[in-house]
Amino acid sequence: MNEVQVLVLTGFGLNCDRETAYSFRLAGASASSVHINSLIFGEVSLDKFHILAFDGGFSWGDDHGAGVIHAVRFKYRLGKELRRFIGEGKLIIGICNGFQVLVNMGLLPGFDGDYETRLVALTSNDCGNFRDDWVWLRTNEKSPCVFTQGLDFIELPIRHGEGKFYSDPVTIKRLFDQEQVVLQYSMPDGRLAGGVFPFNPNGSFQDIAGICDPTGRIFGLMPHPEAYNHWTNHPDWTRKKEEVKRRGKAINLDVTPGIRIFQNGVEYIRKRFVS
Amino acid sequence: MPVRLEITLRPDLFDPEGATICRKASDYFGIKLTSVRTINILTIDANLSSDQLEAIQRHIFTNPVTQISSYAPLEIDFDWILWVGYRPGVRDNPGSTAVEAIEDLLGLRFKPGEAVYTSKRYCIKGEGLKLQDVERVARELLANDIIQEWRVYSREDWDPEEGIGIIIPRVYLDHQPTVSVIPIESDDSLMRISNERNLALNPSDVPVIRNYFLREDVIAARRIVGLKEPTDIELEYISQARSDHCNHNTFKGKFYYRDLTTGQFEEVDNLFASCIEAPTLAIKEKKDWVVSVLWDNAGVGRFDDHHHFVITGETHNSPSNMEAYGGAITGIVGVYRDPLGTGKGAKLIAGTYGYCVAPRDYAGDLKPRLHPRRLLDGIIEGVRDGGNKSGIPTPFGLVFFHEKYLGKCLVFVTAVGLMPAKVQDKPAHEKTTSPGDLIVMCGGRVGKDGIHGVTAASETYSAHTPAGHVQIGDPYTQKKMHDFLLEARDEGLIAFITDNGGGGLSSSVGESARYSGGCEVELEKVPLKYEGLDPWEIWVSESQERMTVAVKPEHIDRFLELSRRHAVESTVIGRYTDSGKLHITYKGKTCAYVDIDFLTSDFPQWRFDAEWRPPASRGLFEPVIHEGKEYNRLLLDLLARPNICSREWIVRQYDHEVQGTSIIKPLIGKERDINSDAIVIRPVLESEKGLALAQALLPTYSQIDAYHMAACTIDEAVRRVIAVGADPEHIGGVDNFCWPTIQYHPKDNPDGRFKAAQLVRANWALRDMCLRYEIPLLSGKDSMYVDGHLEGKYGETHKVSALETLQFTAVGVVSDIAKCITMDAKLPGDLVYVLGITRDELGGSEYYEHFGYIGLNVPQVFPGPFWKLYLALNRAIKDGIVASAHGVYRGGLGVHLALVAMGGGLGMNIDLAQIPREDIERNDTILFSETPGRFIVTIDPRDKDAFETILRGIPHACVGSTIEDERLLVRGLQGNIIISSSVRELKAAWKQTFGELV
Repeated sequence: MNEVQVLVLTGFGLNCDRETAYSFRLAGASASSVHINSLIFGEVSLDKFHILAFDGGFSWGDDHGAGVIHAVRFKYRLGKELRRFIGEGKLIIGICNGFQVLVNMGLLPGFDGDYETRLVALTSNDCGNFRDDWVWLRTNEKSPCVFTQGLDFIELPIRHGEGKFYSDPVTIKRLFDQEQVVLQYSMPDGRLAGGVFPFNPNGSFQDIAGICDPTGRIFGLMPHPEAYNHWTNHPDWTRKKEEVKRRGKAINLDVTPGIRIFQNGVEYIRKRFVS
Repeated sequence: MPVRLEITLRPDLFDPEGATICRKASDYFGIKLTSVRTINILTIDANLSSDQLEAIQRHIFTNPVTQISSYAPLEIDFDWILWVGYRPGVRDNPGSTAVEAIEDLLGLRFKPGEAVYTSKRYCIKGEGLKLQDVERVARELLANDIIQEWRVYSREDWDPEEGIGIIIPRVYLDHQPTVSVIPIESDDSLMRISNERNLALNPSDVPVIRNYFLREDVIAARRIVGLKEPTDIELEYISQARSDHCNHNTFKGKFYYRDLTTGQFEEVDNLFASCIEAPTLAIKEKKDWVVSVLWDNAGVGRFDDHHHFVITGETHNSPSNMEAYGGAITGIVGVYRDPLGTGKGAKLIAGTYGYCVAPRDYAGDLKPRLHPRRLLDGIIEGVRDGGNKSGIPTPFGLVFFHEKYLGKCLVFVTAVGLMPAKVQDKPAHEKTTSPGDLIVMCGGRVGKDGIHGVTAASETYSAHTPAGHVQIGDPYTQKKMHDFLLEARDEGLIAFITDNGGGGLSSSVGESARYSGGCEVELEKVPLKYEGLDPWEIWVSESQERMTVAVKPEHIDRFLELSRRHAVESTVIGRYTDSGKLHITYKGKTCAYVDIDFLTSDFPQWRFDAEWRPPASRGLFEPVIHEGKEYNRLLLDLLARPNICSREWIVRQYDHEVQGTSIIKPLIGKERDINSDAIVIRPVLESEKGLALAQALLPTYSQIDAYHMAACTIDEAVRRVIAVGADPEHIGGVDNFCWPTIQYHPKDNPDGRFKAAQLVRANWALRDMCLRYEIPLLSGKDSMYVDGHLEGKYGETHKVSALETLQFTAVGVVSDIAKCITMDAKLPGDLVYVLGITRDELGGSEYYEHFGYIGLNVPQVFPGPFWKLYLALNRAIKDGIVASAHGVYRGGLGVHLALVAMGGGLGMNIDLAQIPREDIERNDTILFSETPGRFIVTIDPRDKDAFETILRGIPHACVGSTIEDERLLVRGLQGNIIISSSVRELKAAWKQTFGELV
């Protein structure tokens, strides 16, 4: 099989599996939605996949902390398979609830190859409520993150009630020192949001919206790249369309920055695992 | 031994939940709290070892980065402690997931009766805070005594060793399930028993029921199965099926309509048949995209060659009025089961909301159960959790404030689904049950929930009585079931599916058995939440998150295997037959044996007197107002009115982008904060087609004439989807009526006949509009009795009836989403057009309401000319020459020109003299009349000729242009500038009213 194989998790209240799988397909991969229990029951093996996506949703209703029960279940039932997957140099992306799962499993930040210890948390938004909005994001070009290569400043939607990135100052400093901070909430002009609501929508420390492990192969982010799968998902598209039309030009129909994130992952695998 | 785990945020971390409580206590009651820290409590009533307890504490329930926890009470500083927990039998969603997590981590199963209960402890600090302050916060902010208990501890009361103690709200019913026989000696005795048992039988149905059970053939047949007189379960079944909720007796009733001014008399037989069914069937003949209407849980229309869309709308008024959060979440999660139970099942792709409530700042003398502010907060949060946790976008909604909703609020919820055109080569919208099919109940378990709805509210509580009449929806359980059932559908395992809502199994099994012609149900097989339910309770319980599915015997193994994979409980509870009988047994003994077609036999039709008096003869008149000069201030004040202003705080709590389908969002424009006319989603990600959806309600017009209320409401909803680019030939509708009681009673409902006439008139408008616009009614529901009795200042009570309200939903297919447009002005120098004629129609308007008037000149729809205009606009949109289009709705041109400017962040130069109008020579009338059928359109000046060519013969005029300078400049009829306001200023006014809310 010379296709990049992506496993997108479903079940137990996850709800972004379809658009996440669709986005990976747009990015050139073969993507399968697989129920968490199918992995646990052994009906499907993680081994035949190259990319594992912990997609968004409300796993176990988000009761007892977003992503907590999902993380415990995955860690204790599939820990061995997961470690092998990581050891083989494959990719993991965790989006929103998936990011919460990755930090609760301890896969992130993954300092010194320790993929067990919980060092960071995503906790309740400072605004005290769930929030749906588009945000501006600055990417860290020095970061080893596989998924954000070639992207500098992008817009994506956020939709969460528990997205405030929190950790102790030592861990945060180390994340910056090791260039593991991948995405930061920004102002429309590219300056960092500096904690200012709604640009930083949740009160995240240092405007952190996404981090990776030291290898750059495990990536977690609160915003939803899969919800920017079509140029008309962008909130300003009718305005841009009109402006472009007045200049006598056609709208740019290239893939969206959201899909670029998935393409980066697929390209990375294609170069190393498939040919 | 039960234990109690307390979990809280580390002391150095900000507590957003606590901060919200501080803010609300101050805003709502003026009670100043300095700090609130929240402690989550798990009371674990299960036999676990200390190692096991330590493991679950560490691995599941405590985040080492942010939380601390302890099995002993946590020591956190306080002046007062407030504890809030659920009453027995109330759905405790986090409690259930805690059990799942513990079982999973420890690899064990909880034994029957073992459980985890969640509750909260708030450590409150505040200077000089008194007991009654804390009690007020408890009673009016944090706990609802219908579903929750609370306790307050002062420093002196608090025992740091003991904490709150161990509180186990377990349901324990010391009751041996029994089947009772109901004697039917006379109509009177049966009616008396009906009243005693809250059967709510209609007196006119009683003879029909008695005659049936006294028929010789019936007696003989029943004797064979060991039955004689009717059982409680049989009468419950009949009562449920005959209720107005299930059978729509009002809409199917006979109305004796009389116009008291003209003497005109008309006998109107069956509003449903004449005003809903007949027009829809006539339109279906013409429109082949209408796939399935008028019989299933939701209507089905074609989306493209391979997909159908599915839509229905519901209300959940009474439960939300009692327990706002629980009622609303149960409402939205409940309506989602309708598309899921349509055809062989549809995936949910969108939900919408509509709330009619009394003003948020109501300060009058009447005492509703929940203050409107708290009621609205709870409703908003219920729909938020119900929608977001279901993974279904909630992209559109309405909120309408009026004091008439103080008696009962309205909560509209609408659900949209998508199904493949075919499943395993068979039409997906078709379904049937056949003899031999197994009856499977999927999803949640059955408890005393929702039995006899509201009557239970008046019963007294004991410590272990389940508070079952108010439910809390569980989107998590339902989402699992949704995913499971769609997979089962795609494998061809579902022969028939329907949801368990009102009437529970009684409705779902009773109705589905009509297809095969009978059924046998073994009630003891139904999984229960707790023991001690009588068979009739199992049969009619409205416990949520359940579907009834017909599965062929050869498919059952695979069906149950998939069910296990998805961690969904499914149980075979019987089989469909062709015996002609509804046959129920409990532990081998027959407890119901009724002819399946008995319910379709001749029950007497309900009858209503309807008396109409035209508005002028009721003493309504146009107020005498002479124009003022300060139009600037007037416009700003109108923009700030609660029914006009921004409600961004609600919209942003709702996930409108999940599923990756959002094309036209609820908030749009340069700063992404102005409401769009309609939303558009792209439900099939591989397709460039879209689905546009919008809703409208205009209940203030009912104060003048419900005919025009309904006509304008339908026009507005349709106009909204036209504005974003929906194909006019491919629009369907959903009608949701909410009406006060229409049965005349000299003392209790003296104006019942008038309200009945209003209902007839609204239905006439529905019929007329649907026929003229060719809108099939894909689905609809009615909710009667929206009245409340509220206590006043002196202990007296007042009946408050809601305004006669119709919510109309328009849903339309967009053939190419790239052609969609939004309402915000795009570029400076664009031409601004007003399409459609403005008439002197301020009756029921926002402008009149601002001054406390109702008026007489209610807005009227002229369907013929309007429709021509809509077709022309659609042509222009498809040709790509419309830069923005926006309907003129409540508030009139003044408000909506301002919104177009605000959306674009651009100024506008407008000349009122140019506005196409009929007999108006006043600025205020032009600016604030709410004449329907109008749009504000902006275009590129280069497209002027093309645009005007398309509009030839249709009333329109270029009324100005957009300008770089961010000011709205309006020149009045006298030639002077009457409005000159910066867009910033307009927006600030529009946002200030609810601007502090998040």
